[in-house]
Amino acid sequence: MKPAFTLRRGRLFRQFIIRPLLAEQIRTITTVLGVSLGIAVVIAIQLTNASSVRGFETALETVAGKTAVEIIGSGTGVDETLMPQLGWLREYGIISPVIEGSAALVTADPRSLSRRQMEAVKILGIDILRDQPFRDYQLLEIEKRNHERATDFNTQQFLEILTSPQTVVITEKLAARRSYSLGSELKLMIGDRVLPFVVRGILKNEGPARVLDGNFIMMDIAAAQLAFDRLGRVDRIDVLLPDGAPLRQGYGGQADIEQTLQAIAKRLPAGVFAQRPSRRGEQVETMLAAFHTNLTALSWIALIVGLFLVYNTVTISVVARRQEIGTLRALGLTRNKVLLLFLGEAAALAVAGIAIGLGLARLLADAAVTMTASTVSTLYIAAVSAPPDMNIGHLWTAIAIGLPLSLVAAAIPALEASRVPPTAAMRGHDTLDMRVRFKPAALIAGFTFLIAAYALAQLGPIGRRPVFGYMASFAIVIGGAFLVPAIMYFLAKIGRLVLRRRLGVEGLLAHANLTSAIPRLSISVAALAVSLSMMVAIAVMIGSFRDTVVYWVGQTLKADLFIGPGIRPTVGSEQTVSEDVIATLATHPDVVALDRFRNVDLIFENNLAVLGAGSFDVVLDYGGLLFKSPANAREVVRGSIGQDVVIISEPFATRYRKRDGDTIDIPTPKGVMPFKVVAVYYDYASDRGVVIMDRGTFRKYFGELSPSGVAAYLKPNVDPEKVRSEMLGMLAEGHRAFIMSNSTLRGEILKVFDSTFAITYALELIAIAVAMLGVAGTLLTLVLERRRELSLLRLTGADRRQVRRMVIIEAALIGAVSQGIGLAVGFGLSLVLIYVINVQSFGWTIQFHVPLAFLIQASIAVVIATSIAGIYPARRAAQLVLSHDE
Amino acid sequence: MMSKVFIAMLALAFGQAPSPKPQATWQEAKAGYVFSFPRDHAAHPDFKIEWWYYTGNVSAADGRRFGYQVTFFRVGIDHTPANPSKWAVRDLYMTHLAVSDPKGQRYRYDEKLTRGGPGLAGAKADTYYTWNDDWSAGLTGSREPGAGNRARHALKAAGKNAGIDLVLDEGKTPAINGINGINQKGAREGNASHYYSLTRMPTKGTITIDGERFEVSGLTWMDHEFSTSFLEPEQRGWDWFSIQLSDNRELMLYRMRRADGSHDPRSSGTLVDASGRTTHLTNTDFTLTPGRSTFKSTNGAIYPTEWTVSIPKHKIDLTVTTPLADQELSLVQSTGVAYWEGMIDVAGQSGGQAVRGSGYLEMTGYYGSLGRIFSGS
Repeated sequence: MKPAFTLRRGRLFRQFIIRPLLAEQIRTITTVLGVSLGIAVVIAIQLTNASSVRGFETALETVAGKTAVEIIGSGTGVDETLMPQLGWLREYGIISPVIEGSAALVTADPRSLSRRQMEAVKILGIDILRDQPFRDYQLLEIEKRNHERATDFNTQQFLEILTSPQTVVITEKLAARRSYSLGSELKLMIGDRVLPFVVRGILKNEGPARVLDGNFIMMDIAAAQLAFDRLGRVDRIDVLLPDGAPLRQGYGGQADIEQTLQAIAKRLPAGVFAQRPSRRGEQVETMLAAFHTNLTALSWIALIVGLFLVYNTVTISVVARRQEIGTLRALGLTRNKVLLLFLGEAAALAVAGIAIGLGLARLLADAAVTMTASTVSTLYIAAVSAPPDMNIGHLWTAIAIGLPLSLVAAAIPALEASRVPPTAAMRGHDTLDMRVRFKPAALIAGFTFLIAAYALAQLGPIGRRPVFGYMASFAIVIGGAFLVPAIMYFLAKIGRLVLRRRLGVEGLLAHANLTSAIPRLSISVAALAVSLSMMVAIAVMIGSFRDTVVYWVGQTLKADLFIGPGIRPTVGSEQTVSEDVIATLATHPDVVALDRFRNVDLIFENNLAVLGAGSFDVVLDYGGLLFKSPANAREVVRGSIGQDVVIISEPFATRYRKRDGDTIDIPTPKGVMPFKVVAVYYDYASDRGVVIMDRGTFRKYFGELSPSGVAAYLKPNVDPEKVRSEMLGMLAEGHRAFIMSNSTLRGEILKVFDSTFAITYALELIAIAVAMLGVAGTLLTLVLERRRELSLLRLTGADRRQVRRMVIIEAALIGAVSQGIGLAVGFGLSLVLIYVINVQSFGWTIQFHVPLAFLIQASIAVVIATSIAGIYPARRAAQLVLSHDE
Repeated sequence: MMSKVFIAMLALAFGQAPSPKPQATWQEAKAGYVFSFPRDHAAHPDFKIEWWYYTGNVSAADGRRFGYQVTFFRVGIDHTPANPSKWAVRDLYMTHLAVSDPKGQRYRYDEKLTRGGPGLAGAKADTYYTWNDDWSAGLTGSREPGAGNRARHALKAAGKNAGIDLVLDEGKTPAINGINGINQKGAREGNASHYYSLTRMPTKGTITIDGERFEVSGLTWMDHEFSTSFLEPEQRGWDWFSIQLSDNRELMLYRMRRADGSHDPRSSGTLVDASGRTTHLTNTDFTLTPGRSTFKSTNGAIYPTEWTVSIPKHKIDLTVTTPLADQELSLVQSTGVAYWEGMIDVAGQSGGQAVRGSGYLEMTGYYGSLGRIFSGS
C-alpha cells in the first residue's frame, strides 16, 4: 500500500524537527551549548596534553638535529675521558659531544631573578669545530660578511666563540626581543650563579635556533662545561649516521637503526648506553601519562553531562509531540522514519554543538595550557607549551566522539517515539503524564552498576593506567544516575511536610509540581548530581591528599633552611649549588649543620625516575623520612650505611613492584650495579619514583658532584628568616642562591600542590555549568508545559511574585536534591579515586579525610546557583500567565 | 713546507685578539737552535705553529704510480687557557690527507680539524706521536735496518675516499734548513722557523683511493717545522718544491710572493748531497719560472703546473711537470683554504749530467684575497 503521507523527508525534518528547535530557543541553546562545552573540553584537554609533550619533543627534535643515536651516561652524563676510547663510534658516523642545559636570562628587571618570572633559555654547548653537519646553524652576522667574499671568513669572531669562556651565540629572535647585538653583554643565571657573557654571534632563525621561540643560546662545549660546572663530563655524545636524516622517517631505516643501536650497545663500556634521541621524548611522555590520563578522564565528564542534555532534549521533544507523532504515524510514516527523525534531531544538536565546541576548544586550550604549564614545568619538564594548532584531525575527533554519542544518548527517546501508536493522535491533547512511573528495573540496574563498580575497583591497572578504576567510577556514576528517580520518589514522600512548614504554600506547590515531574526531572537531576558528585569526589580526594601532604611535609621537612640553585631544576637540566656558596653559608654562626643532597635523573626500566643522594645519618637523626616498611626501617637503614643499599619511595615501589628485600639494578658510571632495597618511605613530591642512596655509596659510584640543594640546621631559638636574610647578604656578587625557610618551603609545596589541582577544579566547574544549563532548560520546559496550571494559579489568586517564588523554590529543590545525591555518589567516587586511581597511576597512599567546610560551602553554593538558574524560567513563568490572561 | 694559510690566518687573527694574557706566551724561533734527534721529531708545544708534512711518490708492484700527502698541523690558539675545561682550546689540530692517481686522473682528499679536548687529538712532546682522531703519525716500535737504533715512522690516515697506511725509514740524516738552526721567513727577527727535512725516506705500505687498495713502495719527503710567527703582511703566498733527483741529491726550494708581485728576498732553499750534507741556497742562488701550462680551479684560482728551476752555481737546470693537473686541495667550504699540492716529475741537468727525479710542488695564495687578511684589515 502506498503511504498517503507524501511529504518528502527533508521537508518533514525541517518542519517537524528544525522548526520546533528554532522555536524553543532556550532549550536548544542550552543543549547545543552543553554539547559544545563537552566537546570543547575534550578537545582542549587533548590539545593541552599534546602541548606539554609536543613542546618537549619539538625542542628535542630541533636540537637533536640529524642525530640518529646518542650515547648517554647514568644520570651524570658521560665521563669525557671515555671519548678517545669511543673513537670506534666514527665507524657509524660523525660524533659530537653535547652539554645541554637551561638558564635564566637576567635582565635589568629584578623580576628576572624571581623563580616564577624568570625567562628560561635553552643552552647547547657543542664542539663548534665539529658540529656543523649535525645541526643547521646559520650564523647571521658571520654569514653577512661572508657573502661579500667567500674567503673573508671572520676568523677572529670564530676564534672568540671558540676560546672565550664568556662567548655566547644567540638567536636572531632573542636579539630582536631583548635588543642584543654583537658585543652586548648578556647575563645568565645558571644554578646559583649569575654569569656575564658577551654576544659574539647571531644565529639565523633556523635549525635549533627555532627552539623555545628563539630562547636558545649556543656556546662552545668548553665554555658550557665551565658555565654549568660540568668539568670532566659531557651530557651525551650525539652520533650522526652517514645518512642520518632518513633514518628517523622510513620504516626500513628504523630497522637499520635498531641493529646499529644494538651493535653500538654491545661495544660500549660499562656505565654508558646508546639510545635514539626520541627515546627521551617517549620517556617524558610516559612520565606525563598518568597526569594526562587523569585530565582526559575529567574532560569526559563534561561531555557526558552534555550528552545527558541531548537525551533530555530529545525526550522532551518526543513527549511533547506524542500526539503529532501519532498523527504522522496515522498518515503512514513508518516507525523507522520516526526513529530517524528524532535521531536527526540529536544529530542536528550534535553538529551545532561540535561546530561551536571546536571554536571554544581553542580558547579553553589556551586557558588550560596556562593552568597546566606551571604544573608540568614545576613537576616534570621545562618546555614552552603553546597549544598546537587545531587541524582537521581534531575536527574528525570531535565528530567521531560527539556524533555517535549524541545518537546513542538520543536512541532511547527516539525508540520510544517510534513506538508511539497511530492511536496517540486520537487521544487528548495533554497526555504529558508520563509512562515512566517508577520502574523497579531502574533500581535493579542502579544496584547492578554499583556492584560492578565495586568489583572493578578490585582489579589492578593495565600498564600504569587505572583503566578499571575509571570504569568503576563511570559505573558508580551511571548506577547513581539510575537510582535518581527512586531517590526522588522517596524524597518526595518524606519532603512534603517539611516544605509545607518551611516554605508555605509556594513550597507545597513546588513540591507537588516537582513530584509530578519526577520522571522528566530525573534526567536533569541525574546530570547535575553526576557532575556534583565528581566535584565532591575530587574535593574529598584533593582534601585528603592535601591533608596527607601537609602531614608528610611536617614530618619530612625538618631542616630550618633550604638552599637551592636560583633556577629551578627540571628533567634534563641539572642545576646545582656551588661549593663556594656552601662554604660561605657554613660560616654563619647560627648554622649547626649543613646537609647536602644531590638528585640525578635515573633511567629505570626505560622510565625516568630520580636518584637522590643524601646522608642517611642526618635523615635518621633528624627524623626526616616517614617509612612505610619495614616496621624497623630506622634500625635497618642505619645498620646498612656503607653497603650497596637504597631506600625507595612509595610511588617507586608501587610502580615497579619493588619492596624492601628486593634488589634493583641501577645504572651507574661504573656500570649497572645491583642495590638492595632496605626500606620504602612515603613521598608525595614526585610520582616518578625516587631511589635514595647514602652519600658515601653515591660518591663511590658517581664521584663527587655539586649538590642540588643543601639543608641547613640552625641553633635552637634562632629566627630562620633573620638567618636567611643574613645569608643572602653574605653571598658574593654573582651568586643567587635560593634560600627558603622551613615555613616558606611548606607554603611553597602547598602552593605547587594547589596549582596542580587548579585545572581539576576548572574542568569540574565547566561540568557543573553544563549541568546548570540543563536545570534551567528543564525548568523552562516544565514552565512552558504548565502554562494552564500556572494560569489557573494566577486566576485563583496567586500573584506574580508567588509564581516566581514557586519556580525558584523548585530550582533550589532540584539543586539541593542533586547535591544530596551528588554527595552520596561523590563519596563512593572519592573512594575509587583515592584507593584505586591514585594508587594505580601515581602510587601514593592518601589518608582519607573529608574537607567538611568546603563541602558545606559548596553545597550552599550549589543551591544558590541552581536558584539563580531558576530565575529566568521563573520570570518567564510569571510573564506567561499574563500573556495567557489576554 | 707549508700550506699553512689557514693556520696563519688563525695565528694572525688571534694575535690581534684583545685578551692575550701577558704571562706565559709563545716562544720565537731564535738563531743558534741546536737540533737533536729523535727528540726534535716530537712536538714543541711552546711554539705556536708546528707541522709534520709528508709527501711521497710511490708505486705499486706493476709500476702504477701514486702520490700522497699527509700533514699534521698544530696551531697554538691560547697558550694557557683560563678555562680549566679539557675542551678549552690551547691548540687546534688540523690534518690534511690527499692521494693522487695519475693513471686514473684522480685526486682525493680529506681533512680533520679537531681540538685537543680529552685526548681527541694531540702531539706528544716527549716522543714523536701526533694524532687527530684515528689519524696518526709517529715513531713505531720497529727499527730501521742498518741505522743504529733509529725507529721507523708510521703514517695512518683513512678518509672517505683516500687512505694511507705506511711505514717509513728515515733514510738520510735530517737536513737542517736555513742557517744557524733557523730559517728566516720575514724581515723582522723572530719571523722565522726551526725547519728540518727527511729528504729521502724509503716508504712501504698501502694506499687506498675510492675504496681500492694498493700495495706500494717508494720515496717520501718529510718536513717538520715549528715557529711562532713568520709571515709578514705583504707576503701573499709561496711556491715550494721538494725534489728527489736520480743522482741521489735532493733539493728544497721556496719562493715567497709579495702582494706587489715581487719576490721576497727571504726565499731560500737547501741542496742535499748523496751523503746528506746540506748547502743553503739564498734567494739569489736560484730562479723559479712558471711555464705555460696552468690548472684553472672552479674557484677561480689559476696555478702554473709547469716550471723551470735554475741554480747556476750548482749547474742545475730542471724542468718541472706534473702527471696530474688537478691536485688542488680545496677546503673552501670548511676552512676557507685552497692550495695546490701535488706530485711532480723533473728532468734536466745536474752538474753537467742528465738527471731525472720526482717530488712535490706546493702553491699557495692563488685563491682568495689573503693579502687583506695578512695586512690585518
